[in-house]
Amino acid sequence: MSSNNKTILSEKVCAEIDRWLTKYPPHGKQSALLPALLIAQENNDNWLPQHIIEAVADYLAIPRIAAFEVASFYSMYHLKPVGKNVISVCTNISCMLSGSEKIEHYLNKKLGVKFGETTEDCKYTIKEVECLAACANAPVCQINKDYHENLTPEKLDEILKKLDN
Amino acid sequence: MKWLKKYFNTFFLVELFQGLKLTGRYFLSPKITIQFPEEETPRSPRFRGLHALRRYPNGEERCIACKLCEAVCPALAITIEAGPRASDGSRRTTKYEIDLFKCIYCGFCEESCPVDSIVETRFLHYHFENRGEEIMTKQKLLAIGDRYEKQIAEDRAEDAMFR
Amino acid sequence: MIEIEIDGKKLEVAPGSMIIEAADAAGINIPRFCYHKKLSVAANCRMCLVDVDKVGKALPACATPVTAGMKVQTQSQKAMEAQRAVMEFLLINHPLDCPICDQGGQCELQDISMGYGPDVSRYNFGKRSIKDKDIGPLIETEMTRCIQCTRCVRFGTEIAGLREMGAYNRGENLEIGTFIEKSLVSEMSANIIDLCPVGALTSKPFRFTARAWELIQHASIPSHDCIGSNIYVHTRNHHGIMRVVPRENESINETWISDRDRFSYTAFKSNDRLTVPMVKRGGHWQEVDWQQALDFAVTKLQDLLHQQGAKQLAGLISPSSTVEEFYLFQKLLRSLGCDNIDHRLHQTDFSHQQNMMQFPGLGMTLEELQQQEIIVLIGSNIQREQPIAGHRVRKASLQGCKIFQINVVDYQFNFTVTDKYIVKPSELVHALAQIAKALSLVSDQKIPDNTLDFLSNITINENVRAIAEQLLIGERKTLILGAIAQNHPQAGLLSQISELIARLCGAKIAYLTEGANAAGAWLAGAIPHRHAASNNMAMEGLNTADAIAAKLKGYILFNVEPECDCANPNLALQAIEQAEVVISFSTFKSPSLMLYADILLPIAPFAEMSGTFINTEGKWQSFNATTLPKGDTRPGWKVIRVLGNLMNLPQFDYVSAEQIRDELKVMIDAQSFTSSVPSYNQLTQSSYSHQTNNHLERITEWPIYRIDALVRRSIPLQQSAASILPGIYLNNAFAQQLNLTDGSKTTVKQGDGEANLAVIIDDKIPDNCVFIPAGFSETAKLGASFGIIEIGSAHG
Repeated sequence: MSSNNKTILSEKVCAEIDRWLTKYPPHGKQSALLPALLIAQENNDNWLPQHIIEAVADYLAIPRIAAFEVASFYSMYHLKPVGKNVISVCTNISCMLSGSEKIEHYLNKKLGVKFGETTEDCKYTIKEVECLAACANAPVCQINKDYHENLTPEKLDEILKKLDN
Repeated sequence: MKWLKKYFNTFFLVELFQGLKLTGRYFLSPKITIQFPEEETPRSPRFRGLHALRRYPNGEERCIACKLCEAVCPALAITIEAGPRASDGSRRTTKYEIDLFKCIYCGFCEESCPVDSIVETRFLHYHFENRGEEIMTKQKLLAIGDRYEKQIAEDRAEDAMFR
Repeated sequence: MIEIEIDGKKLEVAPGSMIIEAADAAGINIPRFCYHKKLSVAANCRMCLVDVDKVGKALPACATPVTAGMKVQTQSQKAMEAQRAVMEFLLINHPLDCPICDQGGQCELQDISMGYGPDVSRYNFGKRSIKDKDIGPLIETEMTRCIQCTRCVRFGTEIAGLREMGAYNRGENLEIGTFIEKSLVSEMSANIIDLCPVGALTSKPFRFTARAWELIQHASIPSHDCIGSNIYVHTRNHHGIMRVVPRENESINETWISDRDRFSYTAFKSNDRLTVPMVKRGGHWQEVDWQQALDFAVTKLQDLLHQQGAKQLAGLISPSSTVEEFYLFQKLLRSLGCDNIDHRLHQTDFSHQQNMMQFPGLGMTLEELQQQEIIVLIGSNIQREQPIAGHRVRKASLQGCKIFQINVVDYQFNFTVTDKYIVKPSELVHALAQIAKALSLVSDQKIPDNTLDFLSNITINENVRAIAEQLLIGERKTLILGAIAQNHPQAGLLSQISELIARLCGAKIAYLTEGANAAGAWLAGAIPHRHAASNNMAMEGLNTADAIAAKLKGYILFNVEPECDCANPNLALQAIEQAEVVISFSTFKSPSLMLYADILLPIAPFAEMSGTFINTEGKWQSFNATTLPKGDTRPGWKVIRVLGNLMNLPQFDYVSAEQIRDELKVMIDAQSFTSSVPSYNQLTQSSYSHQTNNHLERITEWPIYRIDALVRRSIPLQQSAASILPGIYLNNAFAQQLNLTDGSKTTVKQGDGEANLAVIIDDKIPDNCVFIPAGFSETAKLGASFGIIEIGSAHG
């Protein structure tokens, strides 16, 4: 198992995880799981297949199921291949009251995909996520690493246009 | 006057006609006597007669071997063995037997059944010629169910609103 | 102690304990799902919400520590409303399939929903359903029923030490399962069946066969390891044993039992069961009644004694027999003048038997084992051999105990091994001698001169010195000699040097024996050199190895299958095949038994008879029969008793198992056992000289599910992930050196026997060694469990 780590996780990934590990006490390797999974994801077309989760778990010497629990809990980890842009739409109560359903329907129509799906040209993946902690400006979505607040279909249209270019 | 009334009644056979009035009423009223084996009185849909095991319309047996009827039976007349069915691993009886000599036809089994599988039908004409025939096996019970399903379903439907 | 009040009842409780613990101790019932006294507090089911005075909200009783003067109401309106609300939420996604659920009738959710649940669900949206997981042949899953109490996940992490199950996804999509669908490999995995408060995890062999209300519960003791776990056997009218569940005994098994104890009952209904006595007349087997069978046995035995004398007879008895059986077995043979009695079937070196304590055992209680600071495992695979003892060692480890492993296989445990020294079998004595030497250099304990001479030739490896230095630190130390140390060809030396090490570092010495009742066998005299409850005899009989090597004329086998149970199955089979008379008391029949035996007497397995087991702590535990023996089977002690009567032996008129036990108990209490001088005094320069060799060596253990006839026939156990396959296990590097690949078939040769087995790569095996498990018919043609072996090249 451990012999495979090197081949699954590139040297660059390992080095970056090691850098994170220095921030935590030696017995608390598990603490570095969140950044480690993110690093591994960024270096694998933005998604985490099973063998990479396993490799990360083995690298941090924690049970594989513990890594999988974390990876499946947080919506920022993608367990299926995703498109170039990941649009995460919050559907929790504040956003719902402010019209996240409209945003959802608009995206469904515009991109022709439902939550959890990727467009055929692999440009967009839309995802339903839990609260993004920006309730003040609901409805909110996160596109890749940026927040877009006070969304309306028109505003979304503009954003998508920008992304298209 | 008294003697006159008595004389009148006697002379004109009033009592006789009073009696004949009753006779006549019954003579003309519809008859309720029936010729039992050839004729039968109507029976309630709740009648508790011979047992049957039912199937779903698609042919799947209803019984899921929950054993509630076995547990509730006050006469300990029901014996069930259960196990996963070979074909799909679902919970089924491998043996379902009712001893009709023990059964007191209380209907608790039917009441306890969560899937309306075991029922007491409105049929009461049955007899046994040999020792051992009183044990209704699963095959026999299912066969009764299959044969009278239409009647059983009608009876349940009629009674449904009271259950 | 602080004072609190629950439901108006004043209670004295320890500070720091939780409300639910105080309530449980006082017999006040608080409903709960996720809380379990042996697991950490998760407080995620919220069922145990109670009303605490001066606190606004209802608080979870399992996660609220008591404070002085606290007033708790478990039945107040606030508490009840909170509990009802929780119940309603829990039932939102729980299917209403109680009639087809195996947990129906014994379900915590069902019980509590009767008390707190609403009649009608207000939730009329789509319900969640989850795909079932396949987690092996022991546990059936129905994950839609799961209420996510995470007891099973916490059991895996905290008790089994194997993080196999987890809770993944989040919110409404939360699921319990394994990462990759696979069987659980823990030897205690099935405890999650008992832990699961709903029907999500149920017993697979028991599936759908009975309802809780049909079962009758009987207390019993299983016959597979020397721990003597307490169990309940559940029987159902004439169907016999339906399942086995743990019986709580805090001093032995707490609330757990091993999978082996739980599922071995499945072999009771095996088609191999011997149910009628059988005799071989003129080469043909006939089923006969007991009278004929016993008469035949008596005739055969008397002819043999008359013609050959009692010295030509030997009795081999399974170490998992009851005390009563041991006692009567040895009484029968000794009354006939035969001392060749032994239960140590796996052992080959008996040179230290005279020095042995009254019986080999732990020498302490299991609770004390858990309090040790240093534990040295010598040739022990404790986790698989005695799962409950392994669990205690794990608990000790979690409390900071340092564990060392001196072994021939680098066993992986569910506890941390501080340091280990893995050598090939022929080096094991040297490894221990090195530790003794390293200790003698620094220890202030005086040891005899001859022993010093013995150590003078030993040179110390640095690794060993490091281990030795750590052994000196701290108190409460134990050396545990496991099966490999006891079955080793130099077991006597190993035992002597271990005693020396124990003396030098102030440790206790413990033997964890194979079989359920080796302690009972020693006390009841089922050994060649001691009578029941007595000291060493001047004239000792033949031990197992000698009795087989001598190729005697008659053997009496008591639940012994030589091809699987003997240290040298090839030789054992040869010896028994050439014998004139072989009487086999057996629970099962097998083709090979039919080949060599003359008389088969069916005897009952543990739960079908009464008896007593003495566990490794020396605790006597008697049990009654839980069900009638199958067919014409009879309890072993009854058969021996009648055989004794028929042979006109005196004092064989026992009427109950208790009578036999009491007779022995009185003898033991009356006898003062003179413990011998420490055996390390006998070590001299000549006892051992270290020679390295380059031979290919065999390592053997009896795997967890091959240890006795019963588990060998338990199909679910055989299919489970913890059972290991017959094969040639060797490490990757060494396999490459031999040009062998995983899965290839090859031949191994030992003496005149050979076997064709698959190669299995296992990096736990040291170089120049092959590990071949015993207890399989595939390996029955091989010789000694340890020793030189030849390996052919790959073919097929």
